[in-house]
Amino acid sequence: MIKRCEDIRDRIGAWMDGELSRSGAEEVRVHLESCPACCEERRQLEKLQASLKAVLVAGPSNVSFERFWSGVEQRINRQRVWHEDFFGWVRDLSTPPQLAWLVPAVIILVLMGMFSLESFFPGSRLAVRRNNFAAVESIDGFGRNVAVLRENETKTTIIWLYQNQEGENESTGEKSDASPSF
Amino acid sequence: MEVSDWDLVQKCQAGETSAFQELVSRYQQKIFMVVLGLLRDREASMDVAQEAFFRAYRKIKGFKGGSSFYTWLYRIAVNMAIDAQRRQKRNPLDFRENMDGVLEEQNEVEKDPFSNAHDKELRAGLIAAINDLTVEHKAVIILRTVEGLPYKDIGEILGCSEGTVMSRLHYARKKLQVKLKAFL
Repeated sequence: MIKRCEDIRDRIGAWMDGELSRSGAEEVRVHLESCPACCEERRQLEKLQASLKAVLVAGPSNVSFERFWSGVEQRINRQRVWHEDFFGWVRDLSTPPQLAWLVPAVIILVLMGMFSLESFFPGSRLAVRRNNFAAVESIDGFGRNVAVLRENETKTTIIWLYQNQEGENESTGEKSDASPSF
Repeated sequence: MEVSDWDLVQKCQAGETSAFQELVSRYQQKIFMVVLGLLRDREASMDVAQEAFFRAYRKIKGFKGGSSFYTWLYRIAVNMAIDAQRRQKRNPLDFRENMDGVLEEQNEVEKDPFSNAHDKELRAGLIAAINDLTVEHKAVIILRTVEGLPYKDIGEILGCSEGTVMSRLHYARKKLQVKLKAFL
């Protein structure tokens, strides 16, 4: 019963507003006929609604709308300079919902800038330095390994790694077999 | 016979400023009241309401009639008022908190519905409770109470679903009810 009352009370406001489906409204109406506690909830909500109307709906006594149109007309006739529109746009962007998108966008742009700074200003202290790295790759036609050392994307050193295989004599013409085939 | 909003909009799109003036005179008070409910500052509300009409004028050529004119206009005004209130919260000294004064005057219009002491306390409590609501909750309360708009229209104005409107209204009323328990 308590669960049912909670469910009904959650819907009394919408029922008063006439926003429930026919069956939903009927369910609330029938329950209210037999439940004094929910009836009390309805009474409170009705009093709250009446008080809200009394406070909010009545117009303020000394507000004049005679000059309202002239204010709008002035805005229409005034030629706006570009910076007013620009600052208006920036001001709109600085409100919280837009700001939620702006913050990660700025962080991403800053990071991208730091990574690309090295390309435009080599040696800059702000730039993110890329480490020289060496990778062992098998790029020759004989399945042998090479170490590729890249420096600043301008200089690449390839070091051939020969395995000192048992019985292999490096001085007897093997060198020509190990030459790269690209 | 009164010209429909849509006819006036079409005239306005054809460049007739007088048609827009007619639209302004139809909705100026309603828009002002909704903005005033959100901002609690009469001068700022007048300024935001006029700016909302100006924005509507600038955008009116893009209005295709997918929703009613008033829903579209309310959306512009409410969004501007919500933005203004966020700025107001960040820079409270730029705005005067004179809602209490405004609301005092509202009840001098005709018969004061809060004539006895208990009701006056309820009114004072109600004003404080409304001021404590979040801007989203305040917006649904005002659009429903002041304008009596259906949930569907409120959803269109605020850019959310009918279910969200129902939920926000429920929680907003709940908060008011808890704060005003002694008076209800």
